[in-house]
Amino acid sequence: MKAFLVPACALVLCVAAAPALAASGTVLRNDKLYSQPSATSKATASVNRGTSVNILARQGGWLRVSAGRSTGWIRLLSVRAGAGGLGGAGLGDVVGAATTRSNPSRVVAVAGLRGLNDEDLKQAKFNGDELARLNAWQATPAQARSFASQGGLKTANVAALPAPQPEQKASPWEAN
Amino acid sequence: MKLKSMVLAVSLVSFSGAAMAFDLGKMLQEGINQELNKGKQTQSEPDASQNAAPATKQKIDGRQLGFALFGSYSPEEETRIGRQIAGNLLGAVPLVHDDKLERYVNLVGNWVALQSGRKDITWHFGVLDTGDINAFAAPGGYIFVTKGLYQRLNNEAELAGVLAHEIAHVTLKHHLKVLKQSSLIGALGQAASNKAKDSDQVVQNLIGNGAEIMARGLDKNAEFEADRVGIVFAARAGYDPWGLPEVLQDLAGLPAKDSRTSLLYKTHPHPADRLAALGEAVGGRLDAVHGKDIPGRFYRLK
Repeated sequence: MKAFLVPACALVLCVAAAPALAASGTVLRNDKLYSQPSATSKATASVNRGTSVNILARQGGWLRVSAGRSTGWIRLLSVRAGAGGLGGAGLGDVVGAATTRSNPSRVVAVAGLRGLNDEDLKQAKFNGDELARLNAWQATPAQARSFASQGGLKTANVAALPAPQPEQKASPWEAN
Repeated sequence: MKLKSMVLAVSLVSFSGAAMAFDLGKMLQEGINQELNKGKQTQSEPDASQNAAPATKQKIDGRQLGFALFGSYSPEEETRIGRQIAGNLLGAVPLVHDDKLERYVNLVGNWVALQSGRKDITWHFGVLDTGDINAFAAPGGYIFVTKGLYQRLNNEAELAGVLAHEIAHVTLKHHLKVLKQSSLIGALGQAASNKAKDSDQVVQNLIGNGAEIMARGLDKNAEFEADRVGIVFAARAGYDPWGLPEVLQDLAGLPAKDSRTSLLYKTHPHPADRLAALGEAVGGRLDAVHGKDIPGRFYRLK
């Protein structure tokens, strides 16, 4: 009886801890799990790129995840949610382009379902009435400032982020 | 295209006639020649441009020269291009007609755009009435989010993050660079009509069919750059900087073959790649930033 109770309790605990956000994910870069959602807290484990995780909760720029036996907080940008592992790595783009360009029957299938695709955009005719409506709702900087202040928003000094060096090639459109 | 060759041919003639035998004259010629060479595929009709050039005693204005030499547009020209693309996009899919929503997205959008440092254009924001999941930016500050994407958002910071990515495309002039690269566009000259509701045929001739430029997409580095720059705009506006990453996480969790994201994935890197690239750039740099989410004020669209 006792032997049976222990695993049953463990199971109950698991279910109780399983939060609303329970979702699978994959670690995108080698990083650490921390005991708190802060890089100054204690690092409890290391996780490698490609590790599968369960996402348990989110707080600010942090996700609480479990990876194998470890549970801890990891930076939000070090994980992707969803199935599909490391994801695109460019593959998604290539596949997408191939299906839309070289397989016209595929495009038709998609077009039947939804309103917005290449062909719709290509065929689109200028709609002056909708554009006038868009213009009519434009806001002034003064209105935007007042709106921000009502929401308690204050501007913050945030430095520009540097472009990551290794992957940066000269952009083709800069060659002009 | 034809129009571009004509305009350039005109400028070439004017300059050879002018008594500018200086280096400056040579420099101008070279700039113009470069432009001419770029449009080489259209040179198959040399008669048309040669005949047209001497007949038109058109004065070349500074803007056209500026474009020929440096490929730069005035804010007015940029707005003219964007207006035409936006009008066409709205021809493919209209706005969600909801006064409160329209007011709200323009207020959030303008507040974020105020942090972009670009003060020479008027910003416009709208929600497109389609279940597709996407967002668009056209030059001159025309920005759209689809209803399909808007309905997935949970708070104002997420909306601000999405709009900030599009605002960054505008301030970084990504689409203008693509147009320029593909030689689709040249100096604009005069608008045929000043009526607000009219299509601008001059611009239309130069941007291709309808709003197809919105389906063509940008270089993937331009998307990564817009994420990187946009997240900072949103943070500077006082929002939680994690709004855009949260939206990317949500999209990353959608099934890969969801038809609502087919155009998005055709024109953007996969959200997982965008999160990874953003992670490289951000690291711990935003650890000290604590902005607001404002879920209570977020306008929910049924």
